[in-house]
Amino acid sequence: MSKQASKGAAAGKAKKPTKAGTEEKREDVLQAVVLADSFQDRFRPFSLEKPRCLLPLANVPLIEYTLEFLASNGVQDVFIYCGAHSEMIEEYIHNSMRWNPAHGISPFASVEFIRVSDATSTGDFLRDLDGRNLISGDFILVHGDVVANVPLDAALAKHRARREANRDACMTMVLREIGDQPHRAANTRVITPIFVVEPSTGRCLQYDEMHPLQSDGYMILDPAVFSYPEFEIRSDLIDCGIDICTPEVLALWSESFDYELPRKNFLHGVLKDFELNGKVIYTEIVEEGYAARANTLRMYDCISKDILGRWTFPYVPDSNMVRDQAYKRAREGSCIEDGTKLAKDSKVTKSVIGRRTTAGAGTTITRSIIGRRCKIGQNVKIENSYIWDDTTVGDGSSIVNSILADSVIIGKDCIIPEGSLISYGVHISDGTHLPTTPAPRISLLTQEGKPASTEASLVGKSGSGAFFKETTGDDIDSDNDEDEVDPSALDGSLFYTHPNLNLSSESISTLASHSSFDSDDEDQATSGFLQAGSSNSRNRLSSFASNDSEAAAAAEKSDAFHGDAVHGLVDALRNADSDDFDSAKLEFMGLRLANDASDGMMRRAIAEAFVSRASELLSPENGGLDSKKAAETAFTEKKGAVKFIKEVGVGSEKETVQAEFALAMQKSLLDVNGLEGSKAGRLLAAMLQQLYILDVLEEDGILSWWGDSRAAETEGLRVVRGECRDLIKWLEEAEEEESEEVTEDEDSE
Amino acid sequence: MAPSQAGYAPTLEKLLKSLKSQSLDASIEALIFLLKRRQVKGDDCANATARMLLQLVARSQWHDVDELLLKVQRTGARLAQAAPHEPVIGNIVRRVLGLIRDEATEDRNADEFGSESVTDLQSLPVPTRPGANPSRPSLVSIATTAQMSKSMFNLLSVVDTADSPMTGASTPVSQAQTTSAQALRSEVIDGIEEIMDEISQADDQIATFADIQIHPGDYVLVYLPSPAVERFLVKASAKRRFTVLITSLNMPKATGEAPYAALRKKLNAAGVQTINLATNGLMAYMPRVNKVIFGAKAVYQNGGLLVDSGCYIAARAAQEYSKPVIVLSGVYKFCPEDPADGVSSAELGNSSTFVSYADGPAVDAFEVENTVSEYLPPELVDIYLTNLYVSFPGGVDVFEVLLLLTVSIGAPKLEVILLESWPTTISPKKWDILSSSTHEVVDAMGYDAAHIQAQQRTRSFPQSPVGSFGN
Repeated sequence: MSKQASKGAAAGKAKKPTKAGTEEKREDVLQAVVLADSFQDRFRPFSLEKPRCLLPLANVPLIEYTLEFLASNGVQDVFIYCGAHSEMIEEYIHNSMRWNPAHGISPFASVEFIRVSDATSTGDFLRDLDGRNLISGDFILVHGDVVANVPLDAALAKHRARREANRDACMTMVLREIGDQPHRAANTRVITPIFVVEPSTGRCLQYDEMHPLQSDGYMILDPAVFSYPEFEIRSDLIDCGIDICTPEVLALWSESFDYELPRKNFLHGVLKDFELNGKVIYTEIVEEGYAARANTLRMYDCISKDILGRWTFPYVPDSNMVRDQAYKRAREGSCIEDGTKLAKDSKVTKSVIGRRTTAGAGTTITRSIIGRRCKIGQNVKIENSYIWDDTTVGDGSSIVNSILADSVIIGKDCIIPEGSLISYGVHISDGTHLPTTPAPRISLLTQEGKPASTEASLVGKSGSGAFFKETTGDDIDSDNDEDEVDPSALDGSLFYTHPNLNLSSESISTLASHSSFDSDDEDQATSGFLQAGSSNSRNRLSSFASNDSEAAAAAEKSDAFHGDAVHGLVDALRNADSDDFDSAKLEFMGLRLANDASDGMMRRAIAEAFVSRASELLSPENGGLDSKKAAETAFTEKKGAVKFIKEVGVGSEKETVQAEFALAMQKSLLDVNGLEGSKAGRLLAAMLQQLYILDVLEEDGILSWWGDSRAAETEGLRVVRGECRDLIKWLEEAEEEESEEVTEDEDSE
Repeated sequence: MAPSQAGYAPTLEKLLKSLKSQSLDASIEALIFLLKRRQVKGDDCANATARMLLQLVARSQWHDVDELLLKVQRTGARLAQAAPHEPVIGNIVRRVLGLIRDEATEDRNADEFGSESVTDLQSLPVPTRPGANPSRPSLVSIATTAQMSKSMFNLLSVVDTADSPMTGASTPVSQAQTTSAQALRSEVIDGIEEIMDEISQADDQIATFADIQIHPGDYVLVYLPSPAVERFLVKASAKRRFTVLITSLNMPKATGEAPYAALRKKLNAAGVQTINLATNGLMAYMPRVNKVIFGAKAVYQNGGLLVDSGCYIAARAAQEYSKPVIVLSGVYKFCPEDPADGVSSAELGNSSTFVSYADGPAVDAFEVENTVSEYLPPELVDIYLTNLYVSFPGGVDVFEVLLLLTVSIGAPKLEVILLESWPTTISPKKWDILSSSTHEVVDAMGYDAAHIQAQQRTRSFPQSPVGSFGN
């Protein structure tokens, strides 16, 4: 329908290009949906009293950047979904000359607010939107905290073209490339998004997320990915949540009632179910322009710095995008609004200072952003800090790497250390030195939004405010058990507890170690992925997590997986109708993803499947083949089976892994009914030999199995193992006399 | 239609197309944000401003001159503040204000003196100077000047009664207010259309001097050629065979395409050789160069220029080798601002022009300042080519220069009030001729006469760019 509409509009435009004003009445007006609540509490305690999107970034409420971005891309209709503090956002937009269409000068034809009372996630918003039938064509989905200057015209045009070619092309994600070395915005990420992209078309094939705390440092490539002639696995993309969507996207959200997050749940899910729903999602990777989301305090810091560095141009203070602002560029790279009073010998470098703010003599302000009507005394030192409106700082105080909200009062000679978050209206009395660890977060409210009782020991005698604790506050310093922390908690709480306003700060060891993990991650990811292209093996994404311990945790899962997987594989091997193993492989990988099976589990399952097939073939009703023949048939009967074992079952050329596989086969043989020890042993020898011939197992792997103590733990195992002595001997003795040895080996059977 | 136009992003063309369907306020707001986002810049600013003011005069509600002046002042101030880096906007606003005052005064005089004075005016002899330059500009500009001078005469004859510069042209409440307002509206609209014509023709008019300036076999160096410079070169290429050195910033872009491909194609087609230079090759080529040509973004009161960043280096290199620097600028780009007021501080652009934001270590390590425009002092300029007339030595007060210009056009002689702060370098002999034309010049620059008179009393030039049309 929108396809026709856009065609019609284009034709109409071509016919009467001279007629002014027809453009306005095009049917395909561009719509945008702004998600103004992200259901996170990373900005607390500030977001307790004000929604995140109204917090000032470089003295401009965050949502202004988002709306300006939409306006600069020609959006006409805007729908804003508000969660917490919805009335404040509505009031803000309503009073805004620039955005409220009622004032007649808004670039938007309509701005509508949608409240969803019981929403707990982004998914709820989008499912609600689907029910409302407001969206008529393509729309842009953004978060209310996006700062971007990327032009979307090209992406929109491509999206439209793809849609006309294929109705299932339902979404285009706009992603920004990072380049060889991650910059500061990328370094603040805890969760690294990983996109598997087909480079020629930009189609996204798989999406996963990595974070440093996951126990398993792997990302499993969907085998379907390998059916494409080429693909890239990229962890070097910044995802700032700008999506160009068609209404079908909303329908997809509605179909999956449990999706909550647009990436981790929705994108991952839709791509995984490509076989089912046939929906295709594309990426538009831009190499120029700025795009970032102020979704953590560290990103807040980072974007503020970028604004000062004019990377976000034209969204810089001296563009005065907001109506009543009048910033001018001053010396030393600062932007100072008209009507500030700075003492002659105060020094302001690379900072932004709002109207009617005063600074006394001897004060130095470096790389900071200070709001309006602040009173800054004499000999104050402010560095890398963000001070919002109406705050007073007494003489001789020093503030480093901190955020001070509105109407804070800091007394004389105070020291506000790195990482402090001081919320609205807090009063810190003269001469207070706030503790450095844990980084102080002081608020007048408790986590529940109730007034907190003042902690005089913290804020001084005449002060007001208390340490702000949060529910997950336990892990503030519990760096040791970080492995058990849920990643989302990490993302929220760690940032929160350690805003880490200065990356070089040593006091914030947790985060420092994480960010180093992050970059390690990426390097390894890249190298791992390169291998993936050639050997199609699973990719080792990071080295810090152990992957043996997961077995216990997933014990109950493993049973189900093992049974299903073995059953499925054996069925496929038995199936006389088709000699294609690919579908079995797909099924197996599906099971694997569904159960989150580990490598060990897969190995065992595959070993057992082939062993049981081979032993079946020995039995009279299946032809009563001898062990050698049975082994050969089991492995080579179906096309692709050998490759499958090699890639999925063994998956590595390391001898330990190969030994594991041999051990798994040995153990499986014991469980086969009606097969006595020596016969089982002969079958094992035959199978090992066969695998050796097929290049699946290598000499070293088999020898390593032979030497493994686990292979001779029990009587039964020893018997089975004993029968392989000849094989081992043969392997040990000679490689050059191979042909001879094979005959001899046959004789021994 | 080109695919690029199918996009949603707002552009100036879209805005101009939708002027009629949109409310006036919305259009103005849209233009302001186009300016703020730098989606309208350079030469488009003047045109966009004139068109927006035309809309304002034509469509907004006003009943007398004061109201109209106030509206134009306010809107003009908003536009100028939206793009403080484009002084041209202020020029256009001042010219429109001057125009309105002129027309208003004319109307009032017509009321006061009846039809007689009008006939008097029309019977005024328009002397043609015997030594008029053969290469005088097109008739349009002469017609414009002549018309302006008439109105100027009237303005001056009653200006004594004016109280202050700002309200100097206020019209007393008249019984025929509605009719006069309508008449005024159409006259002002005509005037603004003339300004728009002048802006759109300026480049072509400047280009008429091309074959005088460019000689066969010349090596001409251009730095980031503006549309005016491009037109100038193309025009010259019709008659001359020369070599153009196109200098651009040393910026390898992903496209790999050499900049100014279209220009080079046109020049090559005409048989003109082109050489691409990066900034770092400037000095090496300079000995071979015969002249250097720039387009100005604005010309300040002292003759200094606002130019694309990097021009300074080129001009300095030219000075080192004593090569003439020619600047092309329409008269509408002549600003009353003085660079000493701080208006000349360079505009900073997007840092990612030079350092990619993807280059993490560089982003962290460098403070990138991308100056997109810079101030070029008058000492480095040898010739100014305008759409009114050519050429004068650099470093001369623009007013003086303009006097010379108008003299050579052969503008009608009028009584004037002399500015006492006038430079004394002009020989007294020339005074009466010169002074006679002062006011067209002043008019062309958008000064209103009342204002100048006030300045004369205080013996100084206006200080603030915005101050002259209200805050």
